Amino acid sequence: MTDLEQMLKRQAEWQRTRQSLTWPEKIRLAERVRESVGQLRVEPRPTVPGPPKR
Amino acid sequence: MKELALLLNEMQREGVIQDYALFGATAQMRYTEPVATLDADVLVAVASADRLDVLGGIYEFCAAKGYRPEGEAILVGAWPTQFIPAFSPLTQEAMEQAETADFDGVAFRVVRADHLAVIALSVGRAKDMTRVLGLLESGAVSRDAIMSLAARHGLADAWHRFEERFLDD
Repeated sequence: MTDLEQMLKRQAEWQRTRQSLTWPEKIRLAERVRESVGQLRVEPRPTVPGPPKR
Repeated sequence: MKELALLLNEMQREGVIQDYALFGATAQMRYTEPVATLDADVLVAVASADRLDVLGGIYEFCAAKGYRPEGEAILVGAWPTQFIPAFSPLTQEAMEQAETADFDGVAFRVVRADHLAVIALSVGRAKDMTRVLGLLESGAVSRDAIMSLAARHGLADAWHRFEERFLDD
C-alpha cells in the first residue's frame, strides 16, 4: 500500500469515527465550527503592505 | 440545540404550532458525519394558517420569551433558526412521519433520512446533492427507498438525473 493509500485509509477511518458519534455530539462539533467561522468573519483581515512608493 | 427542542415542544404544547420537525443539515447529522452549517431549519404546521403573516404567532411567542430575530431567522441559543411552513405534500408528509429523537434527554422531532434525501433532491442545489450522497453513503437510506418516495412525489425524473450524474458508472 502506498503512502497516499495509507493516508486515505486513515482519513476514511477518522471520518467513520466521527459518523459514529451521537447526534448531540455531532451537533456540538458543528456548533464549534460555527463559532470559528463567526470569529473569522468578525476579526479584521490582515492588511498586506503595498509596494513602496517611489 | 437542546434549547431549540425545549422551545419547539413548548410551542406545540401551548398550541402556537400544531406540529414541527427539524430538517436540513442539523437533521442530516443524525445519520452522517458532522457537516458545517450556519443555521437550523424547522418545518412547522401553524395553528392559525389563515393569518396573513403565517409565522406571526411563532415570532410573537419567541419575542415574549426573549428570543430575537436575526435576519430571516430567530436566534435560539447558538442557532439562528428558520421556521418554514410545511409548504408541499412532501414536506407535510416529512413532518407528519418525523421520528422523535432524544437530544440530551429532550424529545426532538426530526425528519427521517428518506424524506431528508428527497427534500434535498427537490431543492437541487449543489449542497443538497451532497446531502443526498452523504445520506446514501452513511447507509441511512437506500437508492430504492429514495426512488420510491421520489416517484410518489413527482420527482422520479430528478432522481434519475441524480443517479446518472452521481451514481451510475
